[in-house]
Formats: sequence, structure tokens, C-alpha cells
Amino acid sequence: MNTNMAVCIAVIAKENYPLYIRSVPTQNELKFHYTVHTSLDVVEEKISAVGKALGDQRELYLGLLYPTEDYKVYGYVTNSKVKFVIVVDSSNTSLRDNEIRSMFRKLHNSFTDVMCNPFHNPGDTIQSKPSAAGGSAVHSTLRLTPLMVA
Amino acid sequence: MAQCVQSVQEFVQDSFVPMVAVLCSEEAERVTRKNNLNFAELLRPFCRLTSEGHIRDPSNQLQVVKNLRICVNNLVTSPTTTSTSLSPAQRQLLSDVVSSCQPQESAVTNVVMAGDYELNFSDDCVKASTPWYSVWRETLLEIKTSKYSSVTTPWFEAYRENFLQSMPASDHEFLNHYLACLLVVSSTEAVPVEQFLKLSQEQHRIQHSGEYTNPKWFIPNTLKYYVLLHDMFYILRYFLADEMSSSLEGHPLQLDSSMANLHNLSAVHTDLKKGAKDSNSPACAAGSHGACLTLNDHDYIRQFIQEFTFRGLLPHIEKTIRQLNDQLVSRKGLSRSLFTATKKWFGGGKAPEKSISEPKSTCGLLYPPEAPELQIRKMADLCLLVQHYDLAYSCYHTAKKDFLSDQAMLYAAGALVRAHMLVYTMICLNMVLAERCALLSAEILKSQGKYSEAATLLIKMTSEDSDLRSALLLEQAAHCFINMRNPMVRKFAFHMILSGHRFSKAGQRRHALRCYCQAMQVYKERGWSLAEDHINFTIGRQSFTLRQPEEAVTAFRQILINDSRQTAKQQGAFLREYLYVYKSVLGGNEVSLPQLPLPCIHSSATRVYFGHERRLAEGEKQAATHVSLDQEFDQDLSAMWCHLEEQLVASANGGVVPVNFQPTQCCLNSQTDNLRHPLAVVEEPIIVEVTFRNPLKVSLALSSLSLLWRFTVDGSSSSKEMTEETITNEETSAVGVDDIVTSETIQEFQLGPEETKMARLKLLPHRTGQLNIVGVVYNLAAGSSGEMTSNLMVRGKQDLNILGPRLNLTKEDKMSVRHGPDRRLNPIITAPMPLMEVFFLQFPTALLCGEIRKAYVEFCNVSGVALCGLRVVSTHAAFFTFGSQATTPLSPTSAENCSPYKTVATPLQRASEATESLVSADDFRQPSGVIEIPIDGSILQPGQSTQLPLWLRGPDQEGVHEINFLFYYESAEKGLKISHRVLRHTVFICASRSLSIQASACRSSVPPHHCLDEKGSSGTLVFIDVENINTNEGGVREFHIVQVSSSSQHWRLHKYINPNKDKECKLGSRERAKLCFRATRCKPSEATSKVVEKYTFSDLSMGNEQIISSTTPCGDFFFRCLTLETQEAYGASSRISSVSKSQGSVPTENRSSDLTDIAKECSELDLNIIVIWKAYVVEDNKQLILEGQLHVALQTIGKEASSLTAKEEAQEMVLLKFKSDLPPPVILPSAEFCQLIKTNLHYPETCTHPFVQESLCLVPVTLTLSNCSLAQVDVIIDLRHKSTSPESLEVHSSFAWVGQSQYKLQLKPKEVLCLTLQACFLQAGVYNLNTPRVFAKPSEQSIMCETSQQTATPALIVISNA
Repeated sequence: MNTNMAVCIAVIAKENYPLYIRSVPTQNELKFHYTVHTSLDVVEEKISAVGKALGDQRELYLGLLYPTEDYKVYGYVTNSKVKFVIVVDSSNTSLRDNEIRSMFRKLHNSFTDVMCNPFHNPGDTIQSKPSAAGGSAVHSTLRLTPLMVA
Repeated sequence: MAQCVQSVQEFVQDSFVPMVAVLCSEEAERVTRKNNLNFAELLRPFCRLTSEGHIRDPSNQLQVVKNLRICVNNLVTSPTTTSTSLSPAQRQLLSDVVSSCQPQESAVTNVVMAGDYELNFSDDCVKASTPWYSVWRETLLEIKTSKYSSVTTPWFEAYRENFLQSMPASDHEFLNHYLACLLVVSSTEAVPVEQFLKLSQEQHRIQHSGEYTNPKWFIPNTLKYYVLLHDMFYILRYFLADEMSSSLEGHPLQLDSSMANLHNLSAVHTDLKKGAKDSNSPACAAGSHGACLTLNDHDYIRQFIQEFTFRGLLPHIEKTIRQLNDQLVSRKGLSRSLFTATKKWFGGGKAPEKSISEPKSTCGLLYPPEAPELQIRKMADLCLLVQHYDLAYSCYHTAKKDFLSDQAMLYAAGALVRAHMLVYTMICLNMVLAERCALLSAEILKSQGKYSEAATLLIKMTSEDSDLRSALLLEQAAHCFINMRNPMVRKFAFHMILSGHRFSKAGQRRHALRCYCQAMQVYKERGWSLAEDHINFTIGRQSFTLRQPEEAVTAFRQILINDSRQTAKQQGAFLREYLYVYKSVLGGNEVSLPQLPLPCIHSSATRVYFGHERRLAEGEKQAATHVSLDQEFDQDLSAMWCHLEEQLVASANGGVVPVNFQPTQCCLNSQTDNLRHPLAVVEEPIIVEVTFRNPLKVSLALSSLSLLWRFTVDGSSSSKEMTEETITNEETSAVGVDDIVTSETIQEFQLGPEETKMARLKLLPHRTGQLNIVGVVYNLAAGSSGEMTSNLMVRGKQDLNILGPRLNLTKEDKMSVRHGPDRRLNPIITAPMPLMEVFFLQFPTALLCGEIRKAYVEFCNVSGVALCGLRVVSTHAAFFTFGSQATTPLSPTSAENCSPYKTVATPLQRASEATESLVSADDFRQPSGVIEIPIDGSILQPGQSTQLPLWLRGPDQEGVHEINFLFYYESAEKGLKISHRVLRHTVFICASRSLSIQASACRSSVPPHHCLDEKGSSGTLVFIDVENINTNEGGVREFHIVQVSSSSQHWRLHKYINPNKDKECKLGSRERAKLCFRATRCKPSEATSKVVEKYTFSDLSMGNEQIISSTTPCGDFFFRCLTLETQEAYGASSRISSVSKSQGSVPTENRSSDLTDIAKECSELDLNIIVIWKAYVVEDNKQLILEGQLHVALQTIGKEASSLTAKEEAQEMVLLKFKSDLPPPVILPSAEFCQLIKTNLHYPETCTHPFVQESLCLVPVTLTLSNCSLAQVDVIIDLRHKSTSPESLEVHSSFAWVGQSQYKLQLKPKEVLCLTLQACFLQAGVYNLNTPRVFAKPSEQSIMCETSQQTATPALIVISNA
């Protein structure tokens, strides 16, 4: 697996149902679903903690949500309360905070593009064309850029 | 973490209790066996002291010992040395404890269950329709508000209690070491004292010989307490403190074995049973324990324990503490540091947890038993046992500090008790101890509200080696998450799943199932389908193995219903599992069938069709298309048919549409009006089209698919005594239902992966009444992947519930989601109705514009009831006619190749003159486009059929036309529920161009008196331009104009006056011809009778055959077209007038409209011209002659009219306008006034004048003025030359009018006036005399706005010089 790659990215709707989840070892998708779902608790905790203090000017990037034995889970919440979660292999040392931040930023841009699509019905799950045939040759981030609506 | 029944204090207290060993003689053992208990078990229920004890600490302060419990165990020597893990037996025990402790199914007495119930949301909380967010919020609220704190997990407590008690003693700590030993001897023994001595030696041997590592003893000088057990009498008791001082006291402990007193045993029994489990004894049959104990015995035992504790145990402990303290103080100057170190190290009260993570260094370092560190530890443990927490705390600290400085031992979590802070330092030597530590500290943290820390601690304790422990701890951790101030529900759920997984690995199926079920509540219906499927699948599996197949079925059902994202293989497995489980659930003898989850039924897409499926064609007969399920519903079309039906019903009911009229709907779907019960006819099938959708990626095989229904027989019509009887085929046992409604069965119905497919299911009702179609029944099996499908097949049903449209009328409707009724599936079966089929013969698909074709139509009554009132209406009324005269219907074969027209031979002598006939319009005209079909006797008997000729005329506009016919008929019987029936037919006709005809009329310049039989202004010339505009080169060779006819109320074509008398007028492609006719007014006697609209038809044949245009079909089509045009014209004029009225600014409106009337009447012609043609067409090397007619309506003189409606061309390029134009200003139609006066000049054509003799030549010229209008007209005649260009005035070329050069006259209506003028010529030449300018205006007109009258033709005069 590429070292510059997250193992799972997820876009969660404001109402906490998944809009898009994609993980690289596809055979263990369920585990990532559970991980992402559980991380929402922490996300909500962080939002409620930060939200009170800073109001609108809060930082979208939430940082490391929690570490598990194998993974590190990072969170990001847009102003419209859409949550992005990126799961990184904890053995992966090349991805530091800055890289994660830029990943989230890219993800956010792609998400905005999807939302700008006039044919997309907000609230529908997002379908993305598999970025590469095997899904392996993705560098820097698990590319969501060709997020397309089916 | 779930709340425990015990408080934390109790729990901590009870976790650390002084251990007392019991050594029994054989005889004493035998005595106690009477109660089926050993001595320790006998004492155990009474081990909690009810009164307070006292103890003095080293500083001689009195401490109260409250509620002390002691633990009494039989002394068992075991060679086991490893204490790092639990023995298999212990594990088995723990496992048994946990599995035996289940949440009870009935929530009657169990508090736990009540709490659980709060947690288990009742089913109605999670309706599928609710959006996720609200469900989520609801769940959160529910969890918060639910008495979560009261949720108990008794299995966990049981586990904990047992775990703590069964913990083996270890070297580094002393909590589980025995403090005292009870030596029990029976009074029945021969020499009890000897026996005591033997036991005492035995104890000494066990403790000091070193043979046994287990049990362990607290201090070398164990307290020995001698008990003499006396059945019926007394127990003698020796109190030995240090083996040295011995005093003997007697205490009565009576055990009355002879009294079979069984009352009040229930309480004892439960306690004892509990005790029995504690001590590894096999569970005995209930009721056998302590059967011989009386109440008094209870008191005695209690008293005995109290005595033992207060007088033996506590003083012993007190002494030991003091000794230890003295030793320590003497060895180390510790006392100073005891309390100071505390604050520094544990300022925050948090226990350092890092040490847990480095367990490697523990090995290898062992302390000698008498090391001072251990001594401190020993003292601390002792203090803890007697609830002397302050001292214990300080001691622990000292010990810990020492250990730490040695970098050796590890310790664990802090513990807090009461208001004081007690950090309980644990040495985390092995898993068992770590677990104990975790259990304790978690409980304590929890009581402090530090749930998150507790959870972390608990989760850390999970490991691979013990599934049971991991499961329990994970569950507790999960509960911790939900008890946090911001409940972390998802973490709860996730840990519940983990816990469930471990439970199932530990073989605790019930607990596993419970965990998964609880986690399910969080994941349910929130879009996390993958997780949901996984949980559902596990729940299903577990439920099935636990013999709860209903739950299993529900869970599997959920997986299948969900829009699953699983792979096809996985789904196939799910499906098979589901079917297997389902099959095992069904005993096969259920009365009502179960609901199946698959495939999904798209119920609102259900369509219902009433009636037989139509044959489309039968031989060369073409059946009416009617309605079928294959047609898509079209809102516009439906409205069109409804409109047509309204016309028909109105015509059948004397022009009025009944109030209760409802359009017939043969095919019901989601867009039709389904508010009323549809009406079906008995013995006519009802076809229901059900839309199935397979959500899975594997194919499904349905078989024996049929409809389920309920039927209520009409009470009134049935002669039975039962009035309201409901019959249904829902029960499998139902017999004889086919006599009422026959349901057709589809044997095989395959649904591919993710396919949506429709099934058409037929019902045939045999009785009248109310039918309710309730659902479908079928066998469900996995797709045809193999042969095994047959055995994995279940039969079940699905309901068809159709929600009506959403209501949106009242505020309540708008606020909530309400649906109206939908009665698609609830037809009323009514009495037999007639059923008609219509066939068309020789019906063309392509026609030339205006082509006339004869076809035949056959009406067939296929029912058992006579029908009548046959009518038809069409969207294109001018397209067809049945003929208006009573024509004998010829069969199509005999009339083959015949012209559709009726002809007579042309009378040769009057070839160019018209033959006339007068026809009343009423003979042809049909009101409102509805045609009553002239069948014989107007009734069609059952089985009878009749054939009628039908003439068709190609539409005037080219292109493809969709022509809709609606046939109407009703039953010969009256008063039925269904008043009438209709039959639809749609044809597509492709019309191609034929001829274009343009006609114009102008007044003839022939002076009126030249015409013999006519009044002055009536002579009119009609010019007809005919052009062949057919573009189909291959098809039509040429057109022949066969005949030109006219039809009008006032005018007629009189004569064919083409100068070229070439009879046949042939037109090849793109050729054009001009025909001239003279038209005259009809005879006034005929024309004036306006009451009856009579039309004069005059025919001018160009060939040798004359077509009588006033008969069928020519006349029919003429009138059909005419009515259409007038309808349109009325529409247009009414529109215009409304516009002008709305303007409201014209005071002169009345006058001007009068004027226009006058002008109109004057120039009005209203002559309809019918051009009948023949087209020679070559088709398949065969020459065909097609005939047709085109109509031109000449409205006014001077205006050109065309057979191609101008609209047609104009409509093509109409710009889209966003702003409505201002209505065009009403201009006085001055152009129309130029036709008021007709002028004629009469003069000699040549005049010879000797200019030489006389220079001036005077010629008299007569100007005839005829007033064409019916109003008085003022006329001004100006004879002066108009000076167009004064410079170029050529005197020579000019002549002059002499005499009066200007006249002002008044002409009465229709008056003809002659003026004699003098023209003066100066020289010979050719002059145009037509220079007088005539101005005219109606007399009523006050304003002068005379209009110059037409001066069309030059009037030439030749003046020659003589």
C-alpha cells in the first residue's frame, strides 16, 4: 500500500448517515464502517465543546479524534455540519498533521464540487467512480476528486 | 457501566473481607451434612455482622467497624501454585454464573428488565418513514431520559462477586490470606478435646510445613477458634489467641435435626443456595439445604459469628496491627513520612497508569516474606480489611514508595472512597489481579462520575485470553459510554458489538444476542447499512441457534429488505439462510400465510385493468384499440377521452351531462382518480399488474403466484339468508372459493438481479358484490442457480396496501403526512353489462388530403345482454361519416373498386351549366359532433353483429394525424349501476398533400340589364386556382378535376366560363390551372326563408359523369367541415368583440359596427366551393384511382380563399411572446366600402369623327351606378381629371368631360341609376374613359369619409378621324 495514503475516508451527512465511505482494503469494509460510526461520538463531543467557545469562527479541522491500536482517526466538520473522517494506518508515519489537513481541504473542495452539481440531490449518497481500476495507484489521498453523481 | 445493586462502599467493603478458614472433624462434617451443607456453608448466610464492632489503631484511637462481613471457607489444600490465571474449573464456574444469570423475559418482577425495556425501544419508535435525524434525536432523548442508571447487569455483578471470591491468594499481597481458622468438632465425638488437638496440629502442619503453597496465611500465629458442634445441645468453644492463653467458653449452637420445621425456609434457602455455589459445591436440589434449621438455629449461628468476630477476630487483628506497626516504627523512621508523601504524589487523585504498560520488569524480583516493605503492605491490607481506611491509605503509600524506589513492582489504579480519598494501589502482577484492580477502580471511578476513565480502564483489561472477561468488561465499558454526561451512543453501540462478539466466542449466546440487539437500536435505520446487515445477520444466527426462530426470521428479513450494499455472493447466502430459517419456522400447517419480505412490491405502481384482453386483429378485420395495460398513461389523453365521453353522455341524456357523471376508467393507476370504488362486471376478468422489484443482486424465483382477495357477496341480490358474508382465499384451507372468484395462477416468475418486473394476475368474479384484492401469494425461492431450489422454497404472501395521494387541503393535512383513500383494488362487481367489440375493414393508414375512402365498420355484441344507444364521437369530426341517408349497407366485397361517390351520367346538352339541388342542413348536421350510429332497430342483440359503411376523408392538413374515436353504448335494460360503456379506438392517418385550391371572386363588369334573369348587382365571377402540390413523385401521376360544386345559402355557381373549353382538367406534378365560373344569387324565394337553413348545391361536372354533391358522402363531409369552420369563426369573432368591448373607448362603436355590417352584407359572398378530383396513382404496378374533395369557403368578394388554411402556414413560425400584444386597433374597414357601388360605363366602342371639319368630338357616355348594398348610399361623382403630375399635363393625350363635372346623388338600396355624361375629344386616338371617380358613403354616416369606388377595368374608346 502506498505510504501516502489514508486507508479510509468517509463523508457523513449532517444527520449522521453516511454519504460516502471508501476504504482501501475493501474486504474489511465493515470494520471501517464501525470505526467511522463510532468516531462520530467524538466528533460531536468536539463540536459541542468548541462550538460554545468560538461560535462561528471555529476551526473546521478537528484533529486526531482518537487512536486505536491499528489506526488513527481524524475528523473535520464543515460549517454545514457535514463530517469528514479520515482513517490512517497508525504505522504510517509519513502522514502528519499538515498532510492530513491538506487532505481534508482537498476533500472539502471535492465535496463542494459535488454539491454544486445542479443534478445532485443534497442528502443523497455520493457515488464516486473508482479512481483507478484497482484503486491502488492513488497517491497523496484517496482521491475523491472524480466524485460523480450517478 | 451499568449500575450495581450494591453501593460502591458496600462493594469495596465486601471485596476485601477477612478470610477465615474452617477445619472440620469428620464427625462434625457428618453432623452438618444433615442439612446438606458443610460447616462453612452453614455459616455463610450469617456472615454479615449486624452490630458495630470496635478496634483500636496503633495510635490508640478507637475505630468503628460497621457492617463487617467475614468470609468463611473450608480449608482446602491444593498444590496449585500458579495464581497468574484462573484455573479451568474457576473459569467454568464463572462462565456458568454468567450464563445462568440472564435478563428475565417477563418484566413483571425484575427491575433490570424494566430498565432494559426502556433501552429497547419499542417497535413503534422506529418507523421506517421517519427521517434519520428525527429518529436519531428521538433515540438520544430516549436514552437520556430513560432510567439508565437503573439498568442493571446482574450477570456482571454475579461474575464480579464470584471472581473476587475465587481469587487465589498471592505472595505480594495479603488480602486473601487466612486470618483465622475455625476448628470444628462434633459433640458426638468420643473425646472432643483430642480431636481439637488433632485439628490444631493439622492446621499447623498445613501452615508451616511448607508442603502447601495454598492456602496462604496472614501471619504465622493464626487465630484458632475451637468450635464444638452439638446437635440438639451445645457447642463448646475454645478461644485461643496465641496458642498460649486459652480460655474455654461455652456457647449453645443448637442444630435441631429432628425438627422438620420447614417454615421460613425460603429466605434461608436462597442465601444458602448462593453460598453453595460459592464454595464449588455442586448445586444441590433446591429445598434440601438447611432443611433442619429452625429460626432459633439461625439466631444461634448469628450470635456465634458475632461472638467470634468481636471477641476473637477483631482483637486478634488489632493486636497484629499494633505489632506490625511497632516493628515498622522500630526498623524505619517511617511514621513521619506516612502522611506527607501522600499529598505530593497523588495531588490530583489520579492514579498513574503508565506502570501497567510495562509489565516486563516484574519478573525476577522477589521479596523475602519478611521484608519491611511487605510488612507495611501486610499492615495496610489488614487495615483495609477492618475498614480502617486512613491508616490503610498511608500504609499503602509508604509501601508503594518503597516499591517504586526499588523500581520493581507495579501498581494500578487509584481508588476513592467516601469523602476521603483512598488511593488503592494495586500491584499489577498478573491478569487476575489486574482484573480485580480494574473492576474495583472502575467501580470507584464510576461512582465519581469519571465514566470515560472507567471505560478506558475496562477496555484496557480486555485481552485475548479470556473471552468471557473481555465480553463482560466491554459491556460495562459500553455502559460507561452511555452514562457519560454527553452520552456516546455510538461508542456504546460499538462496544456492545465487540462485547457481543466476545460473548459469542465465550459461548454465551444469550448474552451475545442481547448485546447485538442493544447495539442494533443505535445502528437501525440510519443508513449504516453495512453495519446493520452485519448485526442483523448475527442476530439472526444467534436467535436461530437459541431456538428463537421468529426473531431470526425478523432479523434476516431486515437484511433482505434493506437496500443492501453487500456483494451478490453474500446476499445469496443471506437469502438461503433466510429461507432455511423460515422453512424451519413454518410448521406447514399455518392457517394464514406469513408475510414475505421479498421481492419488494411497488404498490403504488399497481395497475388494475377491468375487462378482457383485446384481440388486436382478426384476419383482415382490425379491432378497436381500446385500452390495454400495455399503454402508458397520459394525462392529456385521459382528459381528451374524458371530454369525448362527456359529449357522448350529454348527447345521450338530451344535451345535459348528469350530475353524477364519472368518466369510465378501464385501467386504473396511480394517476387516475381512485377515490371511488371502481365498477367491474361479473364474468369479466380483472387484471392486476403488480410491480415487483428485486433489491438483491441474486435472482429470485417466484412460483404459483396469484392474488389474494376478500369478497363480500351482495346481500340484496343473493337469495341466501346470509346478508353480509365475507369469503376469502387467504386461508389455505379455503375451499370452493373458485366458484365465487377464480384466480389465475402464474406458475413461474423469475426476477433477475435488481430487476423490476411486472406480473399480470387475473381474477374472474362470478358473483356480484364487493371484492377486495388484499395481496399476492407465492412461493419464494432463490434464483435458478441449481437444482436445490425446490426444497428451499417457502410459501408466503405480501399485502398490497396502496396509499392514496397525499392530502393537501386542510392545515392538518399540510402539517402532517396524510393520505387519501385509494380504492383501486376494491372494485364493486355489478350485474352483467353488454360488451361490444368493434372491427374495422379496409381501413386505410395513409390518405391524400381530402381523399374520400370507403371503409366498413362492424359492431359485435359479445355479451349476453342486448345493447342500444350506439354513438360515436371523434376528435376529428370531419374525418368520417356514416352517411346521412338510409343506405343499404353493401358488403365490402360487392362494392369493391367502386367509387365512393354516387354518380349519374352528365346530361350532355347542358354541359357547362350547373345542375342544382336544394338540401336542408338539418339532414346532415349532427349536434355537437356526436354521431348516432344508424344500426337496424337500434338494438344489438346478444351475439349479433352488424356491418356499416364508413366514409373517411383525409385531413386537410398534411402529416400524421392521431384520430380518436369513442364509441358509446348502453344496456337495453335500465337502472344498472353502470349507466353506459365506452370503447376507445385510436388510428393514425398519414395525410399527404394533394391539391391546393385558391379561389377569389370579383364582380363582373357586365351591366345588370344584360343579364336576363338576375337582379343588378348579383353577377359575380369566381376564379379558382388549382395547383398540384403533391410531392410524392412515385405515387400520384396526375390529378383530374372532375367536378366543381358549390354550396351556399345565397349563391350558386352558375356556369363554367373558361374561355378554353377543354373539358378535362389534368394536372401533373407541380402544375397549376385556373378555372373561371360565374356565380349568381339564388332565387329569392328559396334564399329568403331564413328560418330553415337550406343550402343550394350546384354541380358543374367537367367530365361525363356527374356526382350529386348533395348526397352522401360529399354532402356529409361538406357539412362536417362547415360546422367546424363556423364553430371556429364564432370562437374568433367572440374573442374579437370581447377585446373591443374591453377597450371601451369607442363611442362610435355602434355606428362603425353598423357600417361594417353594411359593408359586409354588400361584399359578402358566402359561397362554398367543393372541388372533386380524381388522382391516378400507381402502386405496385397497379393503377388506382383515388377520389377526393376539397372545400374552399369564399366569404367576401375580392378576398382570396384557400383550401390550405392560412393558419397552417402561419402557425409554423409563431414567435414565442412573453408579453401579450396590444389588440390591433379597430380600423374602419374602408376597403370594404369600395364595393358599395358598382359602376358601368356604356358608350360606343368606336366613334368616327371628322376632326378636320369639327375640332371637338362629343360622345355621350352612360354611367350606370348600382347600389349593391342594402342601405341608402350617398354618392359623389367627380369627373375632373386627377392631376397626378401637373407639369406633364399632356393636352393631346387627354380628353375632357364636359357638362356637369361633379354630381352628388343618393341611391336607395339596390337602386340602379343611369347618368348621361359627355366626353369631349380633341383628336383621334384610343382613350380610357374610366376616369370618373366615384365616392360613396352610407347615408347615415355623418362624417364625410367617402370611399373611392373600384375602377377596375379600363373602358377604352377608339376615336378615329373620318
